[in-house]
Amino acid sequence: MRRLTLSISVLALVVAACTQAADQTTTTAAGGQPSGQGLLATVQDRGTLLCGVNDAVPGFGFRNPDGTFSGFDIDYCKAVAAAVLGDADAVEYVPLTAQQRFTALQSGEIDVLIRNTTWTASRDGGEGATFLHTTFYDGQGMMVRADSGITTIEELEGSAICVLSGTTTELNLATRMAGIDYTPLTFEDNETLQSAFVAGQCEGWTSDKSQLAGVRSNFPEAEGGPESLVILEETFSKEPLGPVVRDGDSQWAQVVDWVVLATIQAEEFGITSQNIDTFADTDDNAIRRFLGLEITDDEGNTTVFDPGLGLPTDFASRVIRAVGNYAEIYDRNVGPNTPLGLERGLNALWTDGGLLYAPPYR
Amino acid sequence: MAELTETRSIPVAVRLRPVEWARRHLFGTWYDAALTVVFGGLFVYGAVWLIGFLIRSDFEILRVNLALFMVGAYPRAELWRPAAATVIVAALIGYVAGSASAAAQARAEEAGLPFHRARPKEVVARFWPVLAFIGVVLLLTSTPTPWLVVVSALIAGVVGYLAGRGQPAPVRRFAWVWSVGLVVVAYLVLTGSGIGWDRWGGFHLNLFLTVAGIGLAFPFGLILALGRRSSLPAVRAVSITYIEFIRGVPLITLLLMGIFALGFFLPQQLRPGDVTRVLVAIVLFEAAYVAEVVRGGLQAVPRGQVEAAQALGLSPWKTTRLIVLPQALRATIPAMVGQFISLFKDTTLVVVVGLIDILGASQAANSQPEFLAQGLHEVTLPFVGLAFWVGSYTMSREARRLEKRLGVGER
Repeated sequence: MRRLTLSISVLALVVAACTQAADQTTTTAAGGQPSGQGLLATVQDRGTLLCGVNDAVPGFGFRNPDGTFSGFDIDYCKAVAAAVLGDADAVEYVPLTAQQRFTALQSGEIDVLIRNTTWTASRDGGEGATFLHTTFYDGQGMMVRADSGITTIEELEGSAICVLSGTTTELNLATRMAGIDYTPLTFEDNETLQSAFVAGQCEGWTSDKSQLAGVRSNFPEAEGGPESLVILEETFSKEPLGPVVRDGDSQWAQVVDWVVLATIQAEEFGITSQNIDTFADTDDNAIRRFLGLEITDDEGNTTVFDPGLGLPTDFASRVIRAVGNYAEIYDRNVGPNTPLGLERGLNALWTDGGLLYAPPYR
Repeated sequence: MAELTETRSIPVAVRLRPVEWARRHLFGTWYDAALTVVFGGLFVYGAVWLIGFLIRSDFEILRVNLALFMVGAYPRAELWRPAAATVIVAALIGYVAGSASAAAQARAEEAGLPFHRARPKEVVARFWPVLAFIGVVLLLTSTPTPWLVVVSALIAGVVGYLAGRGQPAPVRRFAWVWSVGLVVVAYLVLTGSGIGWDRWGGFHLNLFLTVAGIGLAFPFGLILALGRRSSLPAVRAVSITYIEFIRGVPLITLLLMGIFALGFFLPQQLRPGDVTRVLVAIVLFEAAYVAEVVRGGLQAVPRGQVEAAQALGLSPWKTTRLIVLPQALRATIPAMVGQFISLFKDTTLVVVVGLIDILGASQAANSQPEFLAQGLHEVTLPFVGLAFWVGSYTMSREARRLEKRLGVGER
């Protein structure tokens, strides 16, 4: 009996010691940086930005034959690096799977997550993540074969629908199909899903409309080409995609937020990576403030506008020189002249009927 | 003995004409004939399909992405490093083969036995899958560099072999020193200018994880197996706990643990790179399985062997090293090779933690704008499959040779 008590108390001691040690390590590691120093300073000290990305989403984040990354999301990693470090190439890309992404963010493996991540309330609240300004407004749609004659989702009653597993897509499908009898076929990646669709295993293919458009415009002629597929009119989910940072570092969140806003503001001003130099002697003080140029007030004093974001005053011009304004990023990666061939739609400026709207920079 | 051999009837090899051979072996009875027709038909169908596939398919995606498949995201400006390392490893393989051949000849001469020296034709017959794969890769190249690498590697291999054969016996005794030296040189070349193995990728990464996984898991597993049979209760308890815990966990869980959970416990400066974490997970996992395979071999050694060794006055360490292990390990070859082949194929699991091995490269290539959504995985996946088939088949053939030489299952 005495031996038992002894061994139990020893065990309890060991457990206590372990948990204490674990507590200490988690408190120091939770932020991924020594306490007292913000992530902005940490990134500047390190000299590289750790950007969590996707390496297999056409148009948004993918690998080139030489192993480097390209895409819409990748350009935003470059934009943040250009603003914070002055070098768009000072990015270390960390490819992440859908399951990995929030853990990587929480544990400090990455500074910012720009990986076509949908902003939802439970992710914002439960994953210890702060969602920033949306860079791409997407929505879920349904694609069917043109010869099936299907024009509404209700007509898919009793059929099989192909969907990627482990994403909000799957949940949205279940919500939309409530009361409609259907069979979901889940797949891990787009290639196998496409094979199943081509083989006729499913009548419908649901995904974000941007991805469906990319698949449709590239559909092999041997299988009937783009004309053999129809993307149904209805959009049955909201998918705002944008950068995500860890909770609890508002300075860093502001920095990333304003990098995104700067690309939108630049488009509104009509400043591109090509014509930015022509704005060097503009008289428009709003543009001078934005680009970090000297402003002369009525008394003849020259000042440079610093909103106190923690960013260099010329960060906007650095971003524009590195990756261009929003329209340039969009057209280069996903616009009408790319394999994805997406129209601007919701992703147009508010002045053009879209949702992109940057707060005033003053 | 001599009389016995004389009375044994020696089968005479009869060389039949092809027609006669076919009649006797393929159409001997009506069901033989039926099977021949069915399987012959399937074979012809498969061959026609394969030729059609090769003609029909567009291999541009492989051509453009060949480097991605082979070395992943290794910096392109530093590609000479893996090339140089390949040549060094070829020289190493040649040298080891040469040294082993020379040592075997010396032993045979000493024992007064005949020695058979490998002829080039036999080497080609032995490694034809590897050579065929190299051929396929060369067909897909768009620059002359890979040809140069292959030719240099071949020359280096031959030079290494001749050096190994020709070296005087005193030098040969230190063959392992020169071999380890060459491995170190190859490693230094690969990791020079700050490219650690965390930047490795493609098939290179699969091979590295396999070789390093086997090399590190084997000794670790051996210790665990001996520990599990130890007479010290504490050692036994630790070994059993470890083995049973790891065997109860899937490899993918360990990989995910290493990638996700480690970040919460270590400060940022101390966190190892992704490849290191994956390698550690693989070694921890593999060691438990190797331990059980070795334990099976240890149990196959009759008790009498140990008792005889003790009776001769051998120490426990010498008993294990000289009597038990050689017999135990010989018996484990089939199971061990099966384990290593499955490890080779398991290395593709690193895709789930975001590393880009050869399977990840296939996925990445299919996401590139110019190859998007064209069903080109029908080209890339067979290529990946071919790479793994070559590796696995070569491993199992070599194991079969080793078994034959050691007489596993015969004595």
